[in-house]
Amino acid sequence: MNFFAIVKVTIPVMMGYVPLGMAFGLLLASLLIPWYYAFFMSVFIFAGSGQFLALSLFASQATILEIGIASFLLNLRHTFYGLSMISTFKEFTWRKHYLIFGLTDETFALLKTNELSETDREKTYLIITALNQFYWILGSVLGAVLGNVFPFDYKGIEFSLTALFIVLSIDLYKKTKLHKPFLLALVIGVFGMFALPSDKMLILSLSIAAATLVLFKRALEHNV
Amino acid sequence: MFESSYLIGSIFVAACVTYATRAIPFAFFAKKKPSSLVKYFEINMPLMIMVILVFYALKDVKWEVYPYGLAHIIAIAITLLTYLRFNNALLSILLATVAYMISVQKIF
Repeated sequence: MNFFAIVKVTIPVMMGYVPLGMAFGLLLASLLIPWYYAFFMSVFIFAGSGQFLALSLFASQATILEIGIASFLLNLRHTFYGLSMISTFKEFTWRKHYLIFGLTDETFALLKTNELSETDREKTYLIITALNQFYWILGSVLGAVLGNVFPFDYKGIEFSLTALFIVLSIDLYKKTKLHKPFLLALVIGVFGMFALPSDKMLILSLSIAAATLVLFKRALEHNV
Repeated sequence: MFESSYLIGSIFVAACVTYATRAIPFAFFAKKKPSSLVKYFEINMPLMIMVILVFYALKDVKWEVYPYGLAHIIAIAITLLTYLRFNNALLSILLATVAYMISVQKIF
């Protein structure tokens, strides 16, 4: 894939990350934290909800230990992403550490749905991840520095990420034809949305999905 | 105001912990030949994660109060219908997002 084709693939993430990053930057500025901390956080942490969580913990004067534990629990879902990337990343050079670092919800989604030839896969993955992080850094710094000056009303633009997940779900379903896991995930998703506490919904739903896969391995494996 | 040592310490810890959550499976499984269970997860988990992420993105919608998530329902319908019809991801995402933004800003 050439560079522009890769940029095109990442545009939906840009539409989500720039405004979301700006919201993060604005919130950071409202806590009277200097703008360059927005830059450092987006460079070194690179986790959307994780960074929002850190800000709310700053605001409530949480200890560093509490911040560590909360971030760990919130981001634990990423463990599942890594689990389905192991054999792909295995062939890669040391640069895979950046890919592992940058494995956010959206990056994972893009990497998993873009089938690439073996030859330039690592390079393409690196560019996708770096572009996504660039959008995120750009948004958060913009928000922290001059977000207040921008008159445009971004309200509702976060739906682009929802739409991205929908489109990618359809893609993966068409490609894999895994009917039973698909139906199972629908049921778990609906259950999670209505019945599970909002702040733990994702990690609990993913754990239920993983547990169900293990429990019904026999039934699911022989009927693909 | 916050102490810079507090901010830097917190960012450092959050960065390490976040990286750890992403690196755990690689640290555990990268050396060995992947077991049949790991392969089975690699096949089935991505689709399930993606579908669950859709509902995760919708988790804070207030379905029981006006406008009953109508803006979301319309935008989801646009995403599904246009994508199944035209098979163009960018087009579907753009149309749905614009429709959603108009709904929440001008209608509801």
